[in-house]
Amino acid sequence: MVLVRDSRVVGTDIVSLTDVTKVYPGQTGVRALDGVTVGFAKGSFTAVMGPSGSGKSTLLHCAAGLDRPTAGRVVLAGQDVGALREPKLTTVRRRHVGFVFQSFNLVDALSVWDNVLLPQRFSGTKPDEAWAREVLTRVGLGGREKSRPGELSGGQQQRVALARALAGRPEVIFGDEPTGALDLSTGREVLALLRRFVDESAATIVMVTHDPAAAAWADRVVFLADGKLAGDLVSPTAELVAARMTELTR
Amino acid sequence: MMTFKLAIASVRRRLGAFVGTFLTAFLAVALISGSGLLLYSVLTAGPGGDRFAAVDAVVAADREIELTTTEDKGDKTKTKTKTERLTGAQPLPADLVDTVAATPGVQTAVADAAFPVALDFQGTPVRAPERASVVAHGWVSAPLTPYVLRDGTAPTTGEVAVGAELGLTVGQNVRLTTKTGARDVKISGVVTGGVPGQAAVFVADRQVDELSGLTGPTAVAVVLAAGADRAQVVAAIEKQLESVPVHTGADKVNADLPGAVPDYIGAISIFGFVLGITGFAAVFVLTGTVSLAVRQRLRELALLRTAGATPRQLRRLLGTEIALVTLVATVPALPIGVVVAHLVAGRFRELGAVPAQFTVAINPMVLIAAAVIGLLATLLATSVAARRAVRIAPTQALRETVTAAHGSRVPRIVAAAVLTAGAAAVLGLVPLGGNLGMGMGFVSSALLLCAAAALGPILVGGLTAVVSRLVGLTGVLGRIAGAMTRAESRRVVGVAIPLTLMFAINATMLLNGDILTEVTADQQAARTARATVQVAATNAPGLPLATAEQVAALPSVTGSALTVGTRIVVDEEGKPEDYPAQGLRSSGESALDLGVTAGNLDDLAADSVAVSGPLAERRSWKIGDRPTFWLADGTRTTLTVVAVYEHWRGFGDLVVDAELVAAHDPRGLVGAVYLRGEPDLAGFPMLAAAGPGAVEAENQQAAWELMVAVSLGFTAIAVVNTFAIATGSRRREFAELRLTGATSRQLHRLLDREALITVAVALVLGCLISGIVVSAFSVAQDGQWRLFVDPLWYLGMIAGVGVLGLVAGAVPARVVVRLRSLPQLG
Repeated sequence: MVLVRDSRVVGTDIVSLTDVTKVYPGQTGVRALDGVTVGFAKGSFTAVMGPSGSGKSTLLHCAAGLDRPTAGRVVLAGQDVGALREPKLTTVRRRHVGFVFQSFNLVDALSVWDNVLLPQRFSGTKPDEAWAREVLTRVGLGGREKSRPGELSGGQQQRVALARALAGRPEVIFGDEPTGALDLSTGREVLALLRRFVDESAATIVMVTHDPAAAAWADRVVFLADGKLAGDLVSPTAELVAARMTELTR
Repeated sequence: MMTFKLAIASVRRRLGAFVGTFLTAFLAVALISGSGLLLYSVLTAGPGGDRFAAVDAVVAADREIELTTTEDKGDKTKTKTKTERLTGAQPLPADLVDTVAATPGVQTAVADAAFPVALDFQGTPVRAPERASVVAHGWVSAPLTPYVLRDGTAPTTGEVAVGAELGLTVGQNVRLTTKTGARDVKISGVVTGGVPGQAAVFVADRQVDELSGLTGPTAVAVVLAAGADRAQVVAAIEKQLESVPVHTGADKVNADLPGAVPDYIGAISIFGFVLGITGFAAVFVLTGTVSLAVRQRLRELALLRTAGATPRQLRRLLGTEIALVTLVATVPALPIGVVVAHLVAGRFRELGAVPAQFTVAINPMVLIAAAVIGLLATLLATSVAARRAVRIAPTQALRETVTAAHGSRVPRIVAAAVLTAGAAAVLGLVPLGGNLGMGMGFVSSALLLCAAAALGPILVGGLTAVVSRLVGLTGVLGRIAGAMTRAESRRVVGVAIPLTLMFAINATMLLNGDILTEVTADQQAARTARATVQVAATNAPGLPLATAEQVAALPSVTGSALTVGTRIVVDEEGKPEDYPAQGLRSSGESALDLGVTAGNLDDLAADSVAVSGPLAERRSWKIGDRPTFWLADGTRTTLTVVAVYEHWRGFGDLVVDAELVAAHDPRGLVGAVYLRGEPDLAGFPMLAAAGPGAVEAENQQAAWELMVAVSLGFTAIAVVNTFAIATGSRRREFAELRLTGATSRQLHRLLDREALITVAVALVLGCLISGIVVSAFSVAQDGQWRLFVDPLWYLGMIAGVGVLGLVAGAVPARVVVRLRSLPQLG
């Protein structure tokens, strides 16, 4: 167990945030992120934790290029996303990033197979169908290609979302409470899948969660409080994470 | 009360979501109130100025035909009375004025003759302002109004005094044309006074009979002795005269010449039609918008269900919200409706489709009724749309996509079957060839449209499946768009149906109008093919019969036909119905081909009649039958059917002897002379080669086009509105697609392809509906099958509606998904 007070930006980081500040417009001008510097190493599984309103989701959105920081620099797979504008931003995301959200965000009108291949269709590249099939089999949905999302259970839908995120061979997968809508055992299955992909395919995962048990699947946990970094924890266990969270919310 | 508070809060909080409903309700109420006011105004329009203002009572024959039928219904007899206005006035016996004058209490009785005339100055017609009719009287009638001499003197033989509105001066020589002939007369005086809508010409009293061709006065005006009791005197006169009524008060105006009094009959049918079309379109579009708006809120409804709301409470909530929105929309809608009514009335006055003195009467009851209709339509639409939506399971709130339960298809199919059967009955049973054709064409396309809407998900689902696969061939985005439209075919229904409405209603009306114009032109050409020369008067509405006969008798004329336009009333099962008719006189070679299908037109004599095919069929008349008719002045006559003809459009349904018309129609002028041969017309400078009766047709056509423009505008706004609502409700879906890697531009292209599918589906349905109706209409006209008259015009209409739909789809897509925007999460 190692405790690191300052997370430094390392050269092998696939995603790095430097002094990132995000202020949401409005009368109060909430500082959702306040000078955060953090890096996510290639091939690592990082959980981002913090009390409600600590800026977890904002950190994820900024890191993934879904939102532009008010100040600071975000580098995603070697690209300064702060300097990019739409639609270039979308093409960068499409090439390097996969998403898994709490609400599975599948397109109901399309079959499982079409949903999985959708990002590659949008990018106009020839879909790697063999890999997509492989991914679907690995998430345990081989043979369900023709089903509609509506016909699947929540756990199955999240696995489709995961397969979609993986089918494009992204360098980073961002998860925003990916197990939030799932029961304990299906949640565990999804986390086991994520872990396996990091171990087997050297993918990078950044996952926001509020569940210490989910965070324990990660290599490292980064804590946020009031928009600021509040330390991190390497090789976490559920108990240690829970203890840190209790500290933060006190 | 709880529901009410929640409804107010909900509307205030989600103003944006209600904008679409508000806009539709606003337009619907504005149009219904506007056209309602117009119809109310023509129905209650006063009969115009009273030319008998200065007298106490007027004796005159009825200006209408009244038929009474008695139906024996077992223990009870039912009596129905139907009337039809005449276009002329029945002359009274010449000695009637003496009888009236001799009645105690009568100070003076004046024999009034009113007859239409035409004036021209060196061949140029002298027209009264605002299309007022020019009516002549004996000088003795001047004090009845009164008309007062401003310049000059009273007319003597060969002279006339004219109303100042004609713009003539004392001493001018003009030509006066009546049915008895054309004469040069001198203006002896100019009179002022009089009534709106009429221009007066006074002739010397001793010339009245000669000029008018009347056998007696058209009315006798009565001035009572001082102190006489009007009711008593009137009763005494009526007792002596028996069948001739006495008119007093506002009723006196009905003793004037019918042609001189403004006629609202045409306007009533036009405005009735406007109200029917706008009312239908408004209610139809409103229903669609409201159900779209309810479907948008399924997730919220499911959430309310989890919070413990019963379906009943949800229905009340939705109803209250919609009622609030509609009521608020009514506030600006009613004044706009008044403005619309004034604008349309103004345009119609310019076109001459309504009399110049027509004004819009603003009646609060009409406005309230329009608001109530709007409210009822929205509430009904809400209850239909909410029927299944409110039964949504609470657990749906937790799901990603929320769909209302699909109901049974049986009620939809039954409703569609009934509506289609209705349309088939209208198309099959009502004779579309007659004057009901246009109206029935609209009714049947409205019924088919309702059937299509009832069948919506089934019909549109099937069509979408086909069309979307075609669009899917255009690439990946096309395939995704196809999948989206197939999965959400209900949304496609909601958006496609207003477009279908726009095409089906407007194209059907325009195409039917075109067909009518073409068939009329074809028949006109067929009728006149044999004539080498066709002439009409340029100085007056027509030629006196004697002059026309001189033309026909010119050397080198080998054959001639001359026609005198009139109206003849037919007894249709107890309902007097007035038909356009012609008096005909022909000689020598046939110069006019009426397309006789039975009998022989050569047998036409003073006591016989030729009948158009549709009328003969409707009344089951055969050659040799002797039906009863009423001529323009109300004279009842029995004529023998000698021929049935088919080239009746733009001509008339009945053909009688020209002399009979000239004797009984107050105008009685020859409208057209058809000649064979090479006559030298130098002796008749007032003649020119021309087609008769074009002006009135143009008025009607312009009014018709204005009406289509109003309906086109309304339906176009409805289409744009629906697209905006449907697109605005999909932000969440768009965000998800952005997250999966779609750029804004790709989303735009995707939505454009969806719009393409929707528009194609709508146009297929629209063409189908208008095709059915137009085909039936066309076959009914002349047995020829047509879908359109001008293929380019037809394609233009399809393209126009298609482009509108595509733009209406593209614009909201670009507003909701900005090109440079980040994905809108949450």
